[in-house]
Amino acid sequence: MAKRPSPYTDAYPEVALAPAERLQFMNRYSVRRADTCISCGMCESLCPYGVHKRVEGHAKILPPDDRRCIGPSCEVNYFFCVANCPTKSLSVRESDNYASMGDARWPVEMIMATWRQAETGKPIPLDDPGNVGRSGGGFDKLYFKLPEAKGRFDPLKIKTAIQLNRRGSGERIEIPIPVYGGGMSFGSISVHTMVARAKAAKMWNTFICTGEGGYPDALIPYQDHVITQIATGLFGVKEQTIQRSRILEFKYAQGAKPGLGGHLLGDKNTPEVARMREAVPYTSLFSPFPFHSVYSVEDHKKHLDWAVAINPKALLSVKVSTPNDVEMVSVGSYYAGAHIVHLDGGYGGTGAAPEIAKKNIAMPIEYAIPKVHRFLINEGIRDQVTLIASGGLRTAMDVAKAIALGADGAVIGTADLVALGCVRCANCESGRGCPRGIATTDPELQAITDSGWGASRIYNMYSSWRLQWCELLHRLGMTDISELRGRFDLLSHGDNPAREVGK
Amino acid sequence: MRYERYHIPIETVPTTAPPVPKFIITRASNCVNCGKCEKACIFGVHKRKEGDPREMADPLSHLCKNCFRCISDCPQRALTMSLGQDYRALGHGIWTPLRVSTIWGEAETGKIPVLGAGYRGMFAGPDFDGVWTDMSEIVRPTRDGIHGRETISTSVDIGRKPLFLAFDTEGALTTELAPVVELSVPMMLDATRLEAAGPDVLMGFALAAKGLDTFLLVPRDRITKELMEAAPSQIVPVLSEGTDVKSLEVDPRTRMVELCVGASWKNWAKAFAKRFPDKVLSLRVQASKGVEETVLEMLDAEVPVAHLEYDEDGREQGRGETRHAKDSLRAVHRAMTAKGVRDEITVIASGGVAAAEHVPKTIVCGADAVSLESALMVALSCRHCSTCRPSSCPASIGAAGPDWVRGRVMNMVGAWRDQMLEMLGAMGIREVRRLRGEVGRAIFYDDIQKEFLSILSGGGEHG
Ligand code: SF4
Ligand code: SF4
Ligand code: SF4
Repeated sequence: MAKRPSPYTDAYPEVALAPAERLQFMNRYSVRRADTCISCGMCESLCPYGVHKRVEGHAKILPPDDRRCIGPSCEVNYFFCVANCPTKSLSVRESDNYASMGDARWPVEMIMATWRQAETGKPIPLDDPGNVGRSGGGFDKLYFKLPEAKGRFDPLKIKTAIQLNRRGSGERIEIPIPVYGGGMSFGSISVHTMVARAKAAKMWNTFICTGEGGYPDALIPYQDHVITQIATGLFGVKEQTIQRSRILEFKYAQGAKPGLGGHLLGDKNTPEVARMREAVPYTSLFSPFPFHSVYSVEDHKKHLDWAVAINPKALLSVKVSTPNDVEMVSVGSYYAGAHIVHLDGGYGGTGAAPEIAKKNIAMPIEYAIPKVHRFLINEGIRDQVTLIASGGLRTAMDVAKAIALGADGAVIGTADLVALGCVRCANCESGRGCPRGIATTDPELQAITDSGWGASRIYNMYSSWRLQWCELLHRLGMTDISELRGRFDLLSHGDNPAREVGK
Repeated sequence: MRYERYHIPIETVPTTAPPVPKFIITRASNCVNCGKCEKACIFGVHKRKEGDPREMADPLSHLCKNCFRCISDCPQRALTMSLGQDYRALGHGIWTPLRVSTIWGEAETGKIPVLGAGYRGMFAGPDFDGVWTDMSEIVRPTRDGIHGRETISTSVDIGRKPLFLAFDTEGALTTELAPVVELSVPMMLDATRLEAAGPDVLMGFALAAKGLDTFLLVPRDRITKELMEAAPSQIVPVLSEGTDVKSLEVDPRTRMVELCVGASWKNWAKAFAKRFPDKVLSLRVQASKGVEETVLEMLDAEVPVAHLEYDEDGREQGRGETRHAKDSLRAVHRAMTAKGVRDEITVIASGGVAAAEHVPKTIVCGADAVSLESALMVALSCRHCSTCRPSSCPASIGAAGPDWVRGRVMNMVGAWRDQMLEMLGAMGIREVRRLRGEVGRAIFYDDIQKEFLSILSGGGEHG
């Protein structure tokens, strides 16, 4: 294998703007012009943001472009259109569109902030409303005790890289940002989405994971950055796909449906998907829970040994969810040979899952991380394990909080999709799949997402994230993200009353 | 007898009530009828007018799924999405719009609600929202998931179970066995507090109880002859306090009788057991402060079933500090296990059951079975309005026919049972009887949050 450049001293690729016309629709405020308007043009001459426009030669003024409007707080300005309209035809208020998007975990501010970062690669302030959700607990109530900002810093002097192999032997793999992409299977997302993620992973010299739907040929050019997942259904798992990967992930359970196995609805199992999974098209595919060959730590070790026999060089990751005894499971995984223990909490996930499983089964990731971290310390093996957290980590700040709670790094899924224009409507599994062409195998719909554009957006998002981590570390007086790990003392638990949102 | 796996047949039973859209799409007058929205919407919200295809018809908002595609694609920016006000006004108390509409979907399709995009709700919440059930990962033996070869049983036994059997020297059984009824699901239908349920609705419930192999609890004065004949062994007459036990008449096919009790019931229970030795007696008490004492007294008096009635929101009744069922039931369960007599009495809990997960959560806190009340009405498209008036009911509950009611209720219970199986499967528990009181296999927000905060305040451990 060719020598890889050290990820942390090298400059990162430039961010390239990746806008999208179709993601420019959201208006924070809505500006209404009543029928009493006489098209005098006063508002056009006043508004410096260009909300009001008249096309040359048209008698009537255009409907207001309220995406540019700065809202009712404009009233302090001399140019406030509402106050100046001679016929009192204008009104400005919060927009209904804005109120209709998002949910408690991903409020509209967070979706829009992610889009902005994906478009520009520019960081958002650490305390941006887009960095915290409204779910009233967990990450949404944890804050860093931050000293005042002090001076400028050079991001290239701050290390955000983490080591994925902390055991004594085997390939050392360092990734320059403490995140890699979670498994999303071919079939649940389109091949364009997969390739976009793979390209971005290559640009960042990190990884994505195949999920359990097999390894499409389109990913082969990125094989150094693709983790092969071995899940309970073993769909599409072959010797070649195991041999191709530098990291193998054993998926025991996934947080969004802990203990339930995977499920691909018949509609999405198109002939192409079925070929990849070596299954019959248009049948529903279940991957069972658990591995029917694994009922103990010893079985589990046998299982890992089997993979090692096929690919002795690969690092092994074990993905588990968060039951009461999550710490025992983690230790068991380590002793069976895992390099990476990957905890997947219940509040994340991208694919289809029964609603009942998401909220009610197994504990949120926020609780599991410190539990496992402390247990591994007491066992004396904390520094031999790479502890990765996922399941409801949405932003750069969530990742930082997870690290402060004791994780080494994180796995990201949903945020990648949001960067591609996901609006969190949750229709990924209904009928033809995602109406926005992200989580779908429908040929017409998946054409909406271009993989090159998508790769830039995901790359940009992580660029912004990295700069936010750098700022955070700088403000905390650190130069390496590994210093942040397990620093509970830097977190405070805020009692902001939970705001219930509309859905 | 041929072995048949218990199975709840489901079929699509559409509602007759007008839809309550979650999102409202409005089209402003600057629309130029270009038709881009029709192309954009894969859910069929935007259609051209039937009579006049030059113009767009009003959007069918109830089909909208919140994807914003039409809004991004409209060249005129003529479309707006807003949150449906009627939707947001659904239900009250623990009945959130989401819970009401989820049950509507379950009652219509009989299917488990499945969505993409992960969890979208609050981190935790009061009452049952502060409970997670456990799952078993790699290291626990003998379990095989829900798609496995073994079945998971949802049967429960209602009645008094002896803690041990005694035999005489000849080896013959000397323990007197009390009657026990096995129900295939730990959910009973309970119309006692459902005053809005008319004769047709009750008839539908009875048919559903029969299809589900469970009980229907109905106040005795609302049991008509037809109702009784429709499901003779499913109907449990609920007697009001003060019913005379000496003159009581019970249909021979009845398997359980329930009495609402206040202060004195001991002699009544004794007399009932003497007169009807083959029938199970359930005493229905308003769960209030110190309910665990009452249940212990019932145990001493050899009452087979205690039915604890919580209020609409699942809280204890009465004034002052009341506990939610999750705490109250745990106290009841603890009081009995401390004495080693838990199995001698069956505990039914009702009230506060507004979603599929509330059934296993009630059971894990210590009940053997739950009785479904308002949920049954919601399955019939009821909106759980805070001011319920049959005359102006938006869902025309009164007009529902028995077969339709049966279908909706069976669908809902079917979907709930399937969801319970998901949770049991995840926990590696093979039968719902084993779930009862298994608080060790649940995670309580109050406890884990406390632990979490103490870890946080314990400061950093940089390992
Ligand atoms: S269906 Fe909705 S939630 Fe799912 S990926 Fe597409 S936009 Fe996102
Ligand atoms: S896309 Fe806009 S302008 Fe075109 S028909 Fe639809 S609402 Fe009218
Ligand atoms: S938002 Fe999406 S689902 Fe709703 S009407 Fe528009 S295109 Fe259709």
